Amino acid sequence: MKILAIAATSVQRLFRDRTNIFFVLLMPMLLILVLGAAFGGESDPRLGIVSGGSGALESDLVERIEAIDGVAASRWDDRATIILAIERGQLEAGVVIPEGYDEALLAGEKVNVEFAAKPEESAQALTITVQSVLTDQGAILQAASYAESKGAGTFAESLARAEGIAATAKGLDVEQSSAGEPFVFDQLGRFELGAYSQLLLFVFLTSMTGSTALIQSRQLGVSERMLSTPTSVRTILLGEALGRFAVALVQGLLIIVGTALMFGVDWGDPLGAAATFIVFSLGASGVGMLMGATFKNDQQAGGIGVMIGIGMGALGGCMLPLAIMKIFSPTLWKVAHITPHAWGIEAFEELILRGGTIADITLEIAVLSAFAAVVFALGAWRLRVSLTK
Amino acid sequence: MNGDGLVLECRDLRRAFGDLQAVDGVGFSIAEGETYGLLGPNGAGKTTSISMICGLLERDSGEVVIDGHPLTTKSVAEKRAVGYVPQDIAIYPDLSAKENLNFFARLYGLSGVERKKRVDEVLEIIGLADRANDRSEDFSGGMKRRLNIGIGLLHSPHLLILDEPTVGVDPQSRNAILESVENLSTEGMAVLYTTHYMEEAERLCNRVGIIDHGKIVAEGTRRELIELVGQRDRIRLRATGNIEAAAQATASMPGVYEAAARDDGLDVLVDNAADALTGILGTVAAAGVSVSSVDVDEPNLEAVFLHLTGRALRD
Repeated sequence: MKILAIAATSVQRLFRDRTNIFFVLLMPMLLILVLGAAFGGESDPRLGIVSGGSGALESDLVERIEAIDGVAASRWDDRATIILAIERGQLEAGVVIPEGYDEALLAGEKVNVEFAAKPEESAQALTITVQSVLTDQGAILQAASYAESKGAGTFAESLARAEGIAATAKGLDVEQSSAGEPFVFDQLGRFELGAYSQLLLFVFLTSMTGSTALIQSRQLGVSERMLSTPTSVRTILLGEALGRFAVALVQGLLIIVGTALMFGVDWGDPLGAAATFIVFSLGASGVGMLMGATFKNDQQAGGIGVMIGIGMGALGGCMLPLAIMKIFSPTLWKVAHITPHAWGIEAFEELILRGGTIADITLEIAVLSAFAAVVFALGAWRLRVSLTK
Repeated sequence: MNGDGLVLECRDLRRAFGDLQAVDGVGFSIAEGETYGLLGPNGAGKTTSISMICGLLERDSGEVVIDGHPLTTKSVAEKRAVGYVPQDIAIYPDLSAKENLNFFARLYGLSGVERKKRVDEVLEIIGLADRANDRSEDFSGGMKRRLNIGIGLLHSPHLLILDEPTVGVDPQSRNAILESVENLSTEGMAVLYTTHYMEEAERLCNRVGIIDHGKIVAEGTRRELIELVGQRDRIRLRATGNIEAAAQATASMPGVYEAAARDDGLDVLVDNAADALTGILGTVAAAGVSVSSVDVDEPNLEAVFLHLTGRALRD
């Protein structure tokens, strides 16, 4: 089919140039990696535990530490390895439970549990958390000791009773409430923010720079030669449009699949993500086609295309998150919505942050579809004029 | 092809760009197996005429009929009969020869085994089979020209239109291109060949249309054109013996316009040197003259063009 032949040749020519492979595929992945490392959401702090014994109290302490919310606890063999792991950044902190923990406590001796950490804020927070766990166990032990001293039974009997009371006691609770909306950063995984913002930025940018291929085709006389074959202008237009779209599609799919596999990015509702990406890519392809049909010089178009691509991406929230933009400049936030990027970002945030489905992003999809329809129509009209004049 | 064996008929083609009348009433026809040359200097209207014939350029007036079907800029199926080779090399430089041919073969409607077979055949015809998978940007100018021509041959068109296909080509590649065109014509393909190289038109074309300022000022076979302007072939004989007697005897032969004795031989003006030479040599020998060398000067299309337009082809 002629349309497919024209489209396939567009894709083939793009990836024939190795520099394009770098800028189209590797560069976005690298940026997502860098952004994830620099600004990505916090992951659980890693806490190592050295536990040599198998006593009930020691096991109870380990279970209490492992049960702490928001801490990734793991067991280690000895103190030396855990210290080395902290020094190498493999762990934020470590807890070393001394040998004979149970025996010492049951004998009424004081036991020192070692807490080792880097002098960082996150490690300091862990100190408090681990301290509270130790305090909890210590309180039960103190209660058991007190009961034993008052003749309420052996220490073991008193301990069992104290644990039972602690498990059923209502105790104190702190009621939490939040004020204001959380920042996007705080809700996203390490790579999500970079993934969807760079996806939109690079797909649009590639469509802009890819417009030079259309100009080159005209400059080389290949477009005119296509018209000398038994191929209608409409077929050529559709082929060129499909070619632009196919390039965006290939790039976008590789970024989506690549980030999901390599960085564990969750793109949310697949149907919603696919719809957002497709309509955004159609718009980007349409703008690329419009540029390719309007400019006569490929170098000029390439330079201006990069400027437009980066400029619209920056304005649309690919570099400064829209949530922050809205706080600091509501006007700028409103202006950002003249770009398809802003609508794409809001659609992805709905899917990824709030677990929305395609039904929740109908407005964004409608705006992106309208944008795509307008620029595609304009691009096709300009390209027809440039081919047939 | 229509009932008259004509593959192309174009009548009264006109096209103006602003005040410039680029093509002004051009018309000619080409039959199957015939090579028709449009000979004229740069800017004479050759490419504009071809663009209208191929349906690439809207015409102000006139008509183009290919294989009995009118062809306009809106025609699609009718273009199947035409193979167009533009003056500028129109290929993707970042694709290989084979990839370029495959791409255009698809646009010409070839598919599957037929496309593969035809691409391989054309690679052989243009002598690029051993470089089929090399990027065309690495080719020499001549190789690119050959690939440019090969694309126009992919679908075995009835009419091959070549717009100055040898511009900027080295002599070896040029000769290869001309040989290819000769072979295609022999195989029955109608060829429209534009050039401003007189020797190419003389070598390839059965008929030539001389175009200048958008008009065909004369048309015919090389012989007809030369006769049109009264030019004749000159045979120069270097000879010894009774040259005066030989000149008198030769002058009375049919087809001989003039025979003049010189110190070292004689000059003879004839309609057609090829036809007359054998008879002249016999007459001269009968007059007791010994001939040591023969030179033939045939008037060429350059002289015809100069006569018709008052300027040289490369002006």
